[in-house]
Amino acid sequence: MKILLISLLLIFAPAIVTKAQDSRIQMSSLDHLVAKASQTIDVNIDERLIRISAKFLSNDDPDEKRVKELVNGIKGIYVKSFEFANDGEYSPADVESVRAQLRGPGWTRLVGVTSKKDGNLEVYLLLEGEKVGGMAVLHTDDRELTVVNIVGPVDLDKLAALDGHLGIPDLGIEKPKAKKDEQ
Amino acid sequence: MNEDYLWDKSGEPDPEIQQLEEILGTLRYQPKPFEMPRDVPAPRRRSYFPLLAIAATLLVALLAGGIWLRVRTRNEPQPQYVQLPAPPVEEKPIAREPEKTPTAPKQSVAANRVPRKRSSAPVLSTREREEALAAKQQLMIAFRLASEKLNLVHKRTQSTSPNQIKNQHRVG
Repeated sequence: MKILLISLLLIFAPAIVTKAQDSRIQMSSLDHLVAKASQTIDVNIDERLIRISAKFLSNDDPDEKRVKELVNGIKGIYVKSFEFANDGEYSPADVESVRAQLRGPGWTRLVGVTSKKDGNLEVYLLLEGEKVGGMAVLHTDDRELTVVNIVGPVDLDKLAALDGHLGIPDLGIEKPKAKKDEQ
Repeated sequence: MNEDYLWDKSGEPDPEIQQLEEILGTLRYQPKPFEMPRDVPAPRRRSYFPLLAIAATLLVALLAGGIWLRVRTRNEPQPQYVQLPAPPVEEKPIAREPEKTPTAPKQSVAANRVPRKRSSAPVLSTREREEALAAKQQLMIAFRLASEKLNLVHKRTQSTSPNQIKNQHRVG
């Protein structure tokens, strides 16, 4: 009996630990906002799709090469972004459903910024010892709710450096105007 | 001397032989029922229970893993494509054979040729290729969005006062 218990523990312990450290955030609670939103971005790319799409990223194109390097090791990318025509289309409970998961073990809030103009911006990291096991960005504004979740090791510097390099159309996200005092 | 006695105990026996028979007769085999000595330990049956327990545990774990994988695969949300105007995707000749132009029939000549290197581009079906291109497009959009948000945070942290920044706050 003792052997049986020990065997079960040895077999299932890694699975339990892995499950506990899963950095994927469940965002299905936000699906009802699709009907209210004027613009929706919904990206669900799992490891298989990342692997397939990475084959189409060229090494000759510097932008695609950057993305290819960044994608290496990533197990999933999940984005839900809603833009609304009016204020208050989403409830605090919607945000809380995501934020509650980011209070779980392993997650650390790297930075949180509150701005009247840009709303609340929070960056969370899932730390596995010294390594980054995942990342989440939560952006809430009067007319915007965005959750970005990257599962797997992320290089934040490389990710931030992508902005303005990728040859895809602007998503219409208002950027803060350059001010002299910000330079 | 008659030697028949030595062969089949017929005839007149030799006294010396008789004497030898009497001496050695004490050592003759005497059948008696076998008795187990009491001090010999009874052989223990080998217990297979631990091995069976381990095998059963592994079997259960494998079954549970299989069921879990199947359920997970079934519940995995299908990728939804971004509801945005599709950016122009640069068509690249991937796994596509070059168009053949009508040329004069080649003469087959046997020669030692260096084998051509296979293209590193994956050979995918049309559906897989479309799926991969859509995933690539989503990937770029997701990274663009994440990058924009990070840069927005960076700019805000540069421009806002330290009181507004709640930095390095451990949650959970």
